[in-house]
Amino acid sequence: MSEKTLVQVQRTIRMRHLWKKILMTALVYGIAIAYFFPILYMFLSGFKTEQQAVMPAIFFKPTLETYRKVLSDPTMYQYLRNSLFQVIVGTGFSLLLGVPASFALVFGRLKHPESNGKFYLWFITTILLPPVAVLIPLFTWYQQLNLINTPYGLMMAYVGFHTPIVVWMVHSFFSDLPGEIFEAAEIDGCSKLQQLTRIAIPLARTGIISAGLLVAVFIWNEFFLGFNLTGNPTATLPVYMSRFREQQGMFVAQLSASSTIAVLPAIILGWMTQKALVKGLTMGAVKG
Amino acid sequence: MKTRKTEYRFLMPAIVVVAIMTQFPFLLTVIFSTLRWNLSRPDLPRTFNGFDNYLYFLKIESLQHIPEFFSILWQTVLITGVTLLLCSVVGFILALLLDHEIPGVNIARTLMLGPFFVMSTASGVIWKTTIFNTTFGWYGVIAKALGATPVDLVSYHPIGVIIVLFTWQWMPFFILVLLAGLQGIPQDLVDSMRIDGVSWLQGVFKIKLPLIMNHMRVAIMLGLVFLIKEFGLILVTTAGGPGTRSYTLPYAVYMQVFSANNVGRASALAVMTVVLTLILVNLLYRSIVKRNARYS
Repeated sequence: MSEKTLVQVQRTIRMRHLWKKILMTALVYGIAIAYFFPILYMFLSGFKTEQQAVMPAIFFKPTLETYRKVLSDPTMYQYLRNSLFQVIVGTGFSLLLGVPASFALVFGRLKHPESNGKFYLWFITTILLPPVAVLIPLFTWYQQLNLINTPYGLMMAYVGFHTPIVVWMVHSFFSDLPGEIFEAAEIDGCSKLQQLTRIAIPLARTGIISAGLLVAVFIWNEFFLGFNLTGNPTATLPVYMSRFREQQGMFVAQLSASSTIAVLPAIILGWMTQKALVKGLTMGAVKG
Repeated sequence: MKTRKTEYRFLMPAIVVVAIMTQFPFLLTVIFSTLRWNLSRPDLPRTFNGFDNYLYFLKIESLQHIPEFFSILWQTVLITGVTLLLCSVVGFILALLLDHEIPGVNIARTLMLGPFFVMSTASGVIWKTTIFNTTFGWYGVIAKALGATPVDLVSYHPIGVIIVLFTWQWMPFFILVLLAGLQGIPQDLVDSMRIDGVSWLQGVFKIKLPLIMNHMRVAIMLGLVFLIKEFGLILVTTAGGPGTRSYTLPYAVYMQVFSANNVGRASALAVMTVVLTLILVNLLYRSIVKRNARYS
């Protein structure tokens, strides 16, 4: 084979690879954009006037009028405030309870050596419990105690349901830390509380933050308990969104602007957690 | 002894709160399910009636009169099962696609993950008004442009609509987990596959799929746990209708409490929802354990 043909063959192979890569790129981006389209279109429609939004169109003259209208609506603020309360306080308490518990489960020496695993499994099984299983007693209690009209009742339910998720995720991040550090700290006279706050939490910081963000997303999006355990003054954003269900095809711009406000924070927080999400949720299970 | 005390001090608050908010109410639900208790009849005493509430749903008196419960159970299993099937098959294909080295592939991955974090009530109303609507939505406009008559999908194919929306929301999670599995396959294995002349199909189904089977099972298990309790999306899209054709178990519990005011029957349904979840999870979990035993 002469040198020239060899170069030609190499060039054809390279060209074929290039074409394959270009086609693959186009395919991947095409699918990704089509998949994301409903969210993208919602985001765009928020910048339309109601007249513009009636018929589907991607190109239009954008206006901030609809957002201004939605944000000047005091009920929207109320829902937003309620949701923020649930997310901040609920996530805070879930972390406050879940992080020390996972520390005790990973590094603690409980009465029986097998207790650690048993308690951990107990937390995991509570994740399986669907909220319908607790709704009826909670609803009857809350009505008697008038907790329906305060945010605290719902918040307590959220803490109960999301602490196990914190335990599950943070457990896998704590398990990555070498146990020797804590033995050494123990010998140096470091109390358990100091070991937790000075060593474990700083070392597993990113994992704990991601667990917190994921729980925040879950609480922000939670509908079933939020819908059934709140009254008008305490309802959260998902409940507000569900009230749009009767208005078929009307107020598309307003609907889009409101849902953008409801959806965007969760998507952004979620994107920030994606790496930890896979690790925290699957590690224990994948390793079996 | 002293250190052991602090360990329990770390552990106990979480256990107490979780038990009070989840396990204790569940036990009460089990007790309620044996009571005759109607909220709209406060004059009637709450009396123990054994398994009557369960029998109301389960008893088949004649084959012409099969209780509604069985169709609701079937709808729940159908919606969850088909969604999980679509998520795992299409999700695997898309994960393979996203596993390529393409400029800016992370942007594409991030975009596809988006729907997973959208609250179900918002995705329900958005799809219903901007896509499925026969006059104002993309579906209606495109169908008319193609010369077809758009039908109201939400009322004619309620289960299909719910499955599409559930899949849209959950497939990103499958892609995320499966992609993590695919990227965990060592590069030298992929290289040696290429050198040995393994065809693309063989590589995917005989080597890659078995290697990430545990990721697949984990995704299916989590998907199952979360899908079986989904409520908001059904409420905003079909509201269980037409009739009870798109009821699922959680939706039926909600209707029993807030529409029929029947605490006893609602509790019985809630308990059966938990039993169904546990049975399905157990079946999946066993298949994971069995597989691990075989490979280790």
